[in-house]
Amino acid sequence: MPTSPDFKPTPVLTKRIPEDRSKRSTVSYDQYVATGGYKTLEKAIGMQPAEIVELVKGAVLRGRGGAGFPAGLKWSFLPPADGGPRYLCINCDEAEPGTFKDRLLVDFDPHLVLEGIAIAAYACQMQTAYFFIRGEYHHQAKVFKKAIEEAYANGVFGKQGLLRGASKFAVDVVLHRSAGAYICGEETALLEAVEGKRGWPRVKPPFPAVKGLFGRPTIINNVETLAAVVPILESGVDAWKKLGVESTFPGAMPSYGTKLMGVSGHVNRPNVYELELGIPLRTLVEKHCGGMRNGKKFKAAIAGGVSMGILGTDQYDAPMDFDIGRKFDVLGLGTACPTVFDEDTDMVAVARNISRFFKAESCGQCTPCREGSGWLLKLLTRIERGDGTTQDLDMLLEVAGSMGLTPGTTICGLADGNNWAVRTIVNKFRPEFERRVKPRFVPVYVSAAAGR
Amino acid sequence: MAWPTKPSATMQVPRRAEPYVTDAMKAAWTKDVLPKYATKLGCLMPILHDVQHAYRHVPYQAQLEIAQFLGIAPSDVLDTVSFYDEFTVEQRGVVTIGVCHSIACEQCGCGSTKLIERVREKLGLLPGETTDDGQVTLITMDCLGSCDTAPVALFNETLHENLTPEAFDRLVEQAAHAKAGGHH
Ligand SMILES: Cc1cc2nc3c(=O)[nH]c(=O)nc-3n(C[C@H](O)[C@H](O)[C@H](O)COP(=O)(O)O)c2cc1C
Ligand code: SF4
Ligand code: FES
Repeated sequence: MPTSPDFKPTPVLTKRIPEDRSKRSTVSYDQYVATGGYKTLEKAIGMQPAEIVELVKGAVLRGRGGAGFPAGLKWSFLPPADGGPRYLCINCDEAEPGTFKDRLLVDFDPHLVLEGIAIAAYACQMQTAYFFIRGEYHHQAKVFKKAIEEAYANGVFGKQGLLRGASKFAVDVVLHRSAGAYICGEETALLEAVEGKRGWPRVKPPFPAVKGLFGRPTIINNVETLAAVVPILESGVDAWKKLGVESTFPGAMPSYGTKLMGVSGHVNRPNVYELELGIPLRTLVEKHCGGMRNGKKFKAAIAGGVSMGILGTDQYDAPMDFDIGRKFDVLGLGTACPTVFDEDTDMVAVARNISRFFKAESCGQCTPCREGSGWLLKLLTRIERGDGTTQDLDMLLEVAGSMGLTPGTTICGLADGNNWAVRTIVNKFRPEFERRVKPRFVPVYVSAAAGR
Repeated sequence: MAWPTKPSATMQVPRRAEPYVTDAMKAAWTKDVLPKYATKLGCLMPILHDVQHAYRHVPYQAQLEIAQFLGIAPSDVLDTVSFYDEFTVEQRGVVTIGVCHSIACEQCGCGSTKLIERVREKLGLLPGETTDDGQVTLITMDCLGSCDTAPVALFNETLHENLTPEAFDRLVEQAAHAKAGGHH
């Protein structure tokens, strides 16, 4: 049961990464080991794989990639090992605008990520791990490649078995660079991309745990999710559950642990902060980010990546936990990386920018997403220019609301992101939009002959 | 990304005598790429990265050569090349300037719109265009994962953060004179 957190930074994932940017440097293999690194992997391979899955399940480690699905539960969906290959894919696509948290781990503590990968691979008996990194992360790909090489050279991975053969189970890690397509962050599009194809999301079921990469059982997890497995095993489930908050909805899943929160926008100290889940956005901004920039007032914040929609001016106190969606009319916590806007921000421009993103990144498979995203952009561009009408506002809401998995019209969740972003911005800042549009007069012709 | 129309089966592929896919490349791929993927098609992305990096584009002839090397259909190669923004059929400039125009970069600091405008003023380029001498390509990119230091831009593989118009101008100036092969 979490204690009531006072929201002091609790470094669990960022133990080795200072908050001050100028003091950061990549932790090498030797430095990592000298500070207790790979000890948790040693502990893990002394356990039964199934025990580890149960532990992670017990910790209710919810996925850090956006959807918040519990990792242990996902792992338990794997069918029993049949001797054939099983895969782990690590999602470092991080292309959601506003999100820049996984990069911190890859840049500065790559071996923590690798240790998490090794533990997950052992726990789920997956022999090959594809580290899927977005193409634009040129520097990060180099840093991570070097870390992988160091880990091989020191026998963590490779034919001899994990940790220089301490376990007979052998794991290989392959760095796979994507090439500039946001949609490949969606887990099944990611699989297609690793298979060398265009990143078109697959229709589910079958779920990847049953039939994933190259048709084999596959687990896809976010970078931060796997990194969090290390402190969970290291310090125990109880220590992890002391961090974060319970859900306030009866019977709903809790938000345990710390979370990397990358804050950008109009704040004094934009940066990645590691804080306990549940911290109010206001505390995050005022206490940790040094408040709003230039003494301006808070106007709005994107909840955690543009897909999640927007928190309005009166929602500054929203706690950053997995309940946020149900409580504050946004899609969810997403990546917990808020982009904060001050009072001078033009919300029409924000909506237009976001809809431009979704139009460019729709993969084109589903008509509501492919065509709808174009319409939303057209309407918003028109409104921004001052040529929109009141009718356009209604049409915006209607088109946006018809796109996505929730209305059940698309294959993947990209369209839901577009839907929620546009709808929440228009709904929460409606007067601003209304000031920008012209009323649409419906001409009424009164016939002189009427009533004769 | 998205859904470009693909050239028809009857199109003529421009050819040069010298192959794009060299023996050295093939040897490296056989050693480093082929063992890592369960299918031949799976090896495609790392190979395309290498070719794009070497020639700043993946021309149709190179796509045919890759298809032949992997023993897969040329249409599969074309399908993948046409989907990903980083692979181009047209040759990119010696320096590609990729300005992030997603939400934080548009709304923070001097803003990406101003940066894009600077390149138009200095080099006469709109996003997607390359200077006539093949030196500089301007593209707009979406969130580069560096929103806390917005606005940002990639000059080839190097990210520049917290850009001001003045700092950006200097980088554009350098780009206009950078030598091929040297990394910016
Ligand atoms: C359009 C779209 C883009 C996504 N992009 C990412 C991404 O960049 N990184 C990520 O970890 N998850 C992303 N996801 C979520 C993944 O589909 C998946 O839920 C996640 O990687 C699972 O890992 P987790 O359970 O550890 O969070 C995206 C989902 C959608 C629908
Ligand atoms: S919802 Fe959009 S991005 Fe997702 S599969 Fe359909 S068209 Fe592609
Ligand atoms: S919005 Fe430009 S780096 Fe994120």
